[in-house]
Amino acid sequence: MTAEDPRDGVANDRPLATLSLNDALAAQSDSETVVDVDEPTQQLVLFRLDDQRFALPGSAVSEILPSDQPVYYVPGLPASTEGVLHLRGKIESVISLHQLLGLPTPEVTSKGMILLVRAAGVTSGVRIEQLDDVCEVTQSMLQAPPETLPGTLRPYVSALWQIDERQALALLDPEALFDAYRQGLG
Amino acid sequence: MPQQLDQHAQAQVALVVFRVGPYRAALDACHVLAMTNHPTASRTANAQSLLDEDDDHAPPTRWLTLRDAQTASDNQNTWQLGVSGDITLQQLPANRLYPLPKLLLSRRFSTALCGLAFDQQQLVLLLDARKLNPSLSQAPALSQPTTNS
Repeated sequence: MTAEDPRDGVANDRPLATLSLNDALAAQSDSETVVDVDEPTQQLVLFRLDDQRFALPGSAVSEILPSDQPVYYVPGLPASTEGVLHLRGKIESVISLHQLLGLPTPEVTSKGMILLVRAAGVTSGVRIEQLDDVCEVTQSMLQAPPETLPGTLRPYVSALWQIDERQALALLDPEALFDAYRQGLG
Repeated sequence: MPQQLDQHAQAQVALVVFRVGPYRAALDACHVLAMTNHPTASRTANAQSLLDEDDDHAPPTRWLTLRDAQTASDNQNTWQLGVSGDITLQQLPANRLYPLPKLLLSRRFSTALCGLAFDQQQLVLLLDARKLNPSLSQAPALSQPTTNS
């Protein structure tokens, strides 16, 4: 057994600094990037309307219903009301957000899924055109809506998520949507 | 409380079921006084025009005589609601009658639309006879009065 020369591999003959174990460990830990795993996150349900990307907070979406869920037309309601669905002994409305968000109304009734949304003391189905994902994002990734956001969207968008350089996604405020709908908008 | 829920689950509601254009609708039977094939009252209204702002309404084929809730001072006043299709008296379980979803309450054309039911997998519009207002309808009486019942 031979003692290792602590200077093995050192190209010059400068004396090495002596550190205590604590200092060495502290220095080592400081040198690493710390990931804050406690950063608050938010679950989002990502979907599309008129090929534009939107999201609703996962906390407000209680269920995602398949596109073939029967919806019954009810007369005497605005065109943005698709009808009602009969789900496990309850009746829930099904609405479209196109008019409220200033999007063109699809010529053919959309056959996308239905998000069952709870907000402002109300539960209602919301018809979407395409479900993209359900994911967790950190709060820091959500930015305040910019001034350049179209006026029709501004009352209903609580945050913007810049997914990449080309794509952004608008996080909708379900309470604002339902309040506006009840007030006769959309 | 559980006893009340159990009673509600077993309770039945007598409804007069008819058609309003392409839709099935129903009124609480206690509000319907009579049924005729022709209008006999001085005031009549087409149910479809009371429910839907659409102007394209088929003429009624049956008339239901209702008390006029708008003139509460004189409970003897009656008017007739024009409907279509067969009219049947049905007992539906109370726990299968649903109030209109909250989001739709403020957007309905007529406040008489108070709920929904499913009968034989078909939607039935539940109407509150007290909220049907014949003065809102433009529908004239269609033919000479002929009492049928």
